[in-house]
Amino acid sequence: MINLILLFPILAFIILALCKKKFLNNLMINIYAAVHFIVSTAFCLNTDFLPMWKPCRFFAVDDTNKIFLMVMSAVFLAVAVYNNGYVKKETSLTKKLRHYTYMVLFFVFSMTGAVLSNNLGIAWVFIEGTTLASAYLIYFHKTKHSIEAAWKYVFICSIGIALAFVGIILMTIATGSLNSLFYSDLYNNAPLFNHFWLQLSFVFILFGIGTKMGLAPVHFWLPDAHAEAPSPISALLSATLLNSAFLMIVNVFRVMVFSGCSGYARIMLLVMGFLSLFITAVFVYHINNYKRMLAYSSIENMGILAIGTALGGVGMLAAMIHLIGHSLIKGAFFLTSGNILEIYGTKKIKSVTGLLKTDRRTGWLWILSFVGIAAFPPSVLFVSEFLMVKTMFLEKHYILCALFLLLLTIVIYGLAKAVIGMAFSSNKEENATEQREKVVLDWTMYLPQIVMLLIAFGIGIYMPRGLSETVLMSVAGF
Amino acid sequence: MENIFIILLGLSMIYIAATSRLSAHINMLIAQGWLLFFVCLSGFAKEPWFNWHMVAGPSCITANMPHIISLLFIIVETLIVKAIVIPLFLKKVLKKTQAHRDTEANIPHFYSLFIASIILFGGFLVANIGAPEFKLVDSMYFGVSLSIIITSLWLITIKHKVLSNVIGFITMENGIFLLSLSVAKEMPIIVNLGVLLDIFIAVFILGMLVNEINNEFEDLEVAHLSDLKDYEYND
Repeated sequence: MINLILLFPILAFIILALCKKKFLNNLMINIYAAVHFIVSTAFCLNTDFLPMWKPCRFFAVDDTNKIFLMVMSAVFLAVAVYNNGYVKKETSLTKKLRHYTYMVLFFVFSMTGAVLSNNLGIAWVFIEGTTLASAYLIYFHKTKHSIEAAWKYVFICSIGIALAFVGIILMTIATGSLNSLFYSDLYNNAPLFNHFWLQLSFVFILFGIGTKMGLAPVHFWLPDAHAEAPSPISALLSATLLNSAFLMIVNVFRVMVFSGCSGYARIMLLVMGFLSLFITAVFVYHINNYKRMLAYSSIENMGILAIGTALGGVGMLAAMIHLIGHSLIKGAFFLTSGNILEIYGTKKIKSVTGLLKTDRRTGWLWILSFVGIAAFPPSVLFVSEFLMVKTMFLEKHYILCALFLLLLTIVIYGLAKAVIGMAFSSNKEENATEQREKVVLDWTMYLPQIVMLLIAFGIGIYMPRGLSETVLMSVAGF
Repeated sequence: MENIFIILLGLSMIYIAATSRLSAHINMLIAQGWLLFFVCLSGFAKEPWFNWHMVAGPSCITANMPHIISLLFIIVETLIVKAIVIPLFLKKVLKKTQAHRDTEANIPHFYSLFIASIILFGGFLVANIGAPEFKLVDSMYFGVSLSIIITSLWLITIKHKVLSNVIGFITMENGIFLLSLSVAKEMPIIVNLGVLLDIFIAVFILGMLVNEINNEFEDLEVAHLSDLKDYEYND
């Protein structure tokens, strides 16, 4: 089955290159999303409907990456549905659309490869692949600003990933005579590793892959890239790409835990996590571009994931729940921001007034996404953040706990100010309102967000047994 | 023998730090490609299986197949990609964009020369520190590659032209490649293949972006690329 999701995009690529029909572009993305979703659901249910077709030894599904795969599939399916309506509005050029399709397929392919690979080196190669694929997607609008964003993205991430490769080389020095980068070999032999080189390699890998994940202080590409990319791509970047980088950090962190020198790694993760929260709290208040504001919120949430990982135990469990919730809600948030951009034609917060009056559904989606991301119950993020606070409390990190709550409150205030202002303020110019009301959006541009938010709120109220068991299994060993 | 090549690699970074002509930088990239190739080759020459008999007959070829594949791979990676394809591509971009010099670097050339030398010296110092951990690495490889990586990162921060940032990126990748050579036997070849592909495509994409930047902004100053800000809306 792994072969199916890894080989399908290549097949789609060939079909698209051979017959250049316009309708095929969207169809391919939709079919791939469906295949992706079916396969990963089958993995979660532990059924293999193609048992004869064995994948190559570099790819495997284990307890940890199962969750990441499932989240990616769900978000990709939502984005694919949204995309049907979006590209109709966005471009009529067949060639541009075809390039877009190629790159979306390649982008999702490389993220899937990064999530499924059970070898540190191969995961690294695929993470680099995601940079190359998404660079074009960020540059899609071909304006001065999108060039700038794409340039910063490619350059900063390439340097980060190159440094992560230095980390992998240092890891091979630490492993001594173990001639392998497979995670299972690394876990089994971890107690024998040289601690000095292992710690050094963790620094490089954390900073390198942390660049990709958007942790402060190496987050600088993130707001620009998320703000300039087309909205479906922003959703993919925020809800799936950052996760696949996080998976690599989790796997390397597990090596540190097994080798018995995780104390140092935990401190580094904590520092980067709190720095991410701090940076968001400082910047989010004055921001005047709503897509940028969402990008900063992604940095904040990645910071929370890093903090949860550092806490370990229940904190790690909370981080996994947070990851699921954040991906669903932030995906919906970014897709809704795409609707607003279509209606108003600007990304400026002050220029968007009376959203609820102009388009009721978009307005409510915007507010509900905010309620979800701000972790008000019944959002699933409430569960994860509550667990995290509880863990900090039980482990007697009172100052950390207070800092965590304070920073989160500031971030929520900053977000709320912008979101409520956009949704509830009265329209200033009546003519413009009439113009805007003429913009009619496809039903595909509402449905994915509604479903994603329903799931996120639903599992906040009742988490199915299967899901909670999968989450528990994924954090075994921390 | 290989130490000479490694030291020359370190010195090439000092030359890059001290000049401002971009074509000289690209020539240095060619030189680095050749030097890396010689480093690989002299590493191989020490291996017991490396002699002309390995290509004497079909039976020998099949017996030495993994070695021959890795040898061929290194020839392709260092000689063809690093010494020929990437520099040629960059020269083409240079010709098209007419950006010959990176003047007005933040730091004058004399100081650059001095700082690059200090970094090279520091690399040697760190590698020869004598702690038991450093017994695991070859100090020559480790010291020079460390200094190449740090010098490249530092050069990226002080240069003003977009193209010199790309060159800094490639020299950094060369430094990392040198580091990976010191543990080459442990690296699976597929990872190296991935590295090769990534450098190749990254440079390709960076080159394309440089062209686009050139079309859009009419010259290649990094200062143009600082328009996206948090507190000002200018989209």
